[in-house]
Amino acid sequence: MADPTVEFFNRIEESGPGLLPTRARGTLRFDIDRGDEVDHWFVAINRGNVLVSREWREADCVVTTDKDLFDKLATGEAQVLAAYNRNDLTVQGSLPLLLTFRRAFPSPPGTRDPRERIRERFAGGRAGRNGESWS
Amino acid sequence: MKPLVSILDGNTFVVSDDRGDIDPSPTFPTGFFSFDTRFLSKWELTVDGNRLSVLSVDDLQYFESQFFLVPGEPTHYVDAKLSIIRHRTIGGSFVEDLTVLNHQDQAVELTVRLNVASDFADLFEIKDMQGKAGETIALVEDDRLRLCYHRETYRRETVITSSAPAEFDPDGLTFALRIEAHQQWHTRLCVQANVEGAGGRDIRLSIQRHRSRSPEELRQDLQGWLDRAPKLSSDSDALTGTYRRSLVDLAALRYVPLTSGAPLPAAGLPWFMTMFGRDGLITCLQTLPFTPELTPPALRYLAMTQGVSLDDFRDREPGKILHEVRYGESTAFEEQPHSPYYGSADSTPLFVILLDEYERWTGDTKLVESLEYEARAALNWIDRYGDLMGNGYVWYERRNLRNGLENQCWKDSWDGISYSDGRLPAFPRATCELQGYAYDAKIRGARLARLVWKDLVYAEQLEREAADLKQRFNRDFWVADGEYYALALDIEGSQVDALSSNMGHLLWSGIVDEDRAAKVAEHLLGPRLFSGWGVRTLAEGEGRYNPIGYHVGTVWPFDNSLIAWGLRRYGFRCEAGRIAEAMIDAGRYFDGRLPEAFAGYDRALTKYPVQYPTACSPQAWSTGTPMLMIRTLLGLDPHGEHLIVDPALPERMGRMELLDIPGRWGLIDAFGRGRPEHTANLTD
Repeated sequence: MADPTVEFFNRIEESGPGLLPTRARGTLRFDIDRGDEVDHWFVAINRGNVLVSREWREADCVVTTDKDLFDKLATGEAQVLAAYNRNDLTVQGSLPLLLTFRRAFPSPPGTRDPRERIRERFAGGRAGRNGESWS
Repeated sequence: MKPLVSILDGNTFVVSDDRGDIDPSPTFPTGFFSFDTRFLSKWELTVDGNRLSVLSVDDLQYFESQFFLVPGEPTHYVDAKLSIIRHRTIGGSFVEDLTVLNHQDQAVELTVRLNVASDFADLFEIKDMQGKAGETIALVEDDRLRLCYHRETYRRETVITSSAPAEFDPDGLTFALRIEAHQQWHTRLCVQANVEGAGGRDIRLSIQRHRSRSPEELRQDLQGWLDRAPKLSSDSDALTGTYRRSLVDLAALRYVPLTSGAPLPAAGLPWFMTMFGRDGLITCLQTLPFTPELTPPALRYLAMTQGVSLDDFRDREPGKILHEVRYGESTAFEEQPHSPYYGSADSTPLFVILLDEYERWTGDTKLVESLEYEARAALNWIDRYGDLMGNGYVWYERRNLRNGLENQCWKDSWDGISYSDGRLPAFPRATCELQGYAYDAKIRGARLARLVWKDLVYAEQLEREAADLKQRFNRDFWVADGEYYALALDIEGSQVDALSSNMGHLLWSGIVDEDRAAKVAEHLLGPRLFSGWGVRTLAEGEGRYNPIGYHVGTVWPFDNSLIAWGLRRYGFRCEAGRIAEAMIDAGRYFDGRLPEAFAGYDRALTKYPVQYPTACSPQAWSTGTPMLMIRTLLGLDPHGEHLIVDPALPERMGRMELLDIPGRWGLIDAFGRGRPEHTANLTD
């Protein structure tokens, strides 16, 4: 079975430019607790480019979670700021950097473009312009 | 009910009765609050088992107050042999200096006790306390009482200590005293609110900069704030009084969120000590000429938290600027959506508007440059997710049906938007002022694109879109019969035709066709909308008009400040002056502190403005109102590197001078003098 956390980090490296503001810069480390061991994911952001490596390195922002929660964050089932407020996820260092990185996390599963829902509701009645998808 | 007394430092504050006590009351909530959680729900002082009575209360500063008390009921205290002084400050923690004075010729033995409890209620639960999902325990240690709440990994803790020896128990602390003749006894009580994170440390400590400030630091900070603001002198005591009050209140309303080092304007005390996108942006727009330091952190914070993906529970969309952020338990456990919540359709265009206005005043192109990505995303939102119906207007409809806001404009109560006959339109809705803001955002976005982002193609595109929007808007929203702008459009494209204050904002945005402005001004100052104290939210005679209805008949100072600014923009100098004068007059009745709203009764009927019952006070955009009125009266407007001063004061206001107005020009002074030609003919 695919690992949502691994998929997430593969994905953000590919979609790096365009995902983050061009001025974004800094390093994050995610320490993900799997019970018997801790996985380290190191993310370097430089002018919108994202580089990911599986290693322990000093970082500007260190985020600690357990694997279950990170899988949920990776699939959009959990939300990073609510988890932070619950203390399910701890942050040391730059919280603003994590807020910038929040862009990498997807919408909750099954989320649909609200304009599409409106178009369906009014289908046949009112004409709507074609909307681009952008999320 | 006893009057409430509040002191605060950012989003940490104490609300008590006039004895200084905190009692668990669901109707008039009191407590010691921090980060949207109540850390003390009981703080009750007794002497020999008796509650105390108040002689007087001194509100020394917004972070400091003092209570003079005596034992017993009011009827008995005339020859009191003891008095008690509670002096309290707040600066991160809550500190109370308790002094007991013995006025007798002989020693007394006394039992002084504080009953203490915390329900750790979330602000959202306070008016309707249900059983808590987590568990509270009291830990008694030799020198402190700890009240601890935990629910899974979520922890909050209140720690109470005393400088004088005390006997701690789970329900409070007791002092068995002997005070000699004409002597006094003193202790310093300290109540600390801990938001616990990794390894038991306070999460605020692990982030940065969050530390308690001493009253001395708070005093210096306030003095610095006042020194940096322009100095006003005027023949109108009401005006100088309300200006001074506003500056202090605005200082009090600053708070530092977890993710930022610099203070932002919170929306209002006590229930809105947090960032609201709309309130924060409008407050900055009002206060920019006076306290520009609030604006960059507000813009940066809103940019940092801008929506980047869709989320139905939070009504979030890419590019959207937040509506409200909260830190309490119900938000953490996703019972409430405020982490952050994005249910407002106006904060996004207002973000672009403030960014431009800020550059006009300060010339700080660096900030505009650094926020290009977010400003473009905001402008994109207007045409993409904002235009839900795909027909070129900004619409809103909540997707969070559980506790999302139905109306996502400033009139956000359920009945805030109605047809003239009182019916409520279906969703989505497109209110008129949203289109005005969208127009203004495009015009200002174009200016920034040309000036700072050096993107001519984008600037021209935005200008074309703005011109097109203005043309369609004037066709679709203009109610030809009544000669005014409809409150909104419904999904059929029909006009939601109530006569309302919203069209005053249209003048401010510049979306009104020149030849229609006079009619709009006439309505705004006409008897159905103008009460004599200000412009009502909804005109008398409308189906839902109610002079004490929250958004359907009351007068809102901030609304009036934007309306006056708009009138001035279209050259209605007397009309703008009349509104400004009415607001400044109203301020007299509230010690210079304009409330959130007051009743829409006719001035001839009440003679004084009646405060809306549950209005929040001070409230940031009411606090900003006198400042925007001063700007409007003096006709202050940046033009290139210069500040234009073009005063238009009603005659009765006499002389006004504002010194050291900060901006790209350095510091500049402005003078104005009332003239008959700037005085409206009063019919009342």
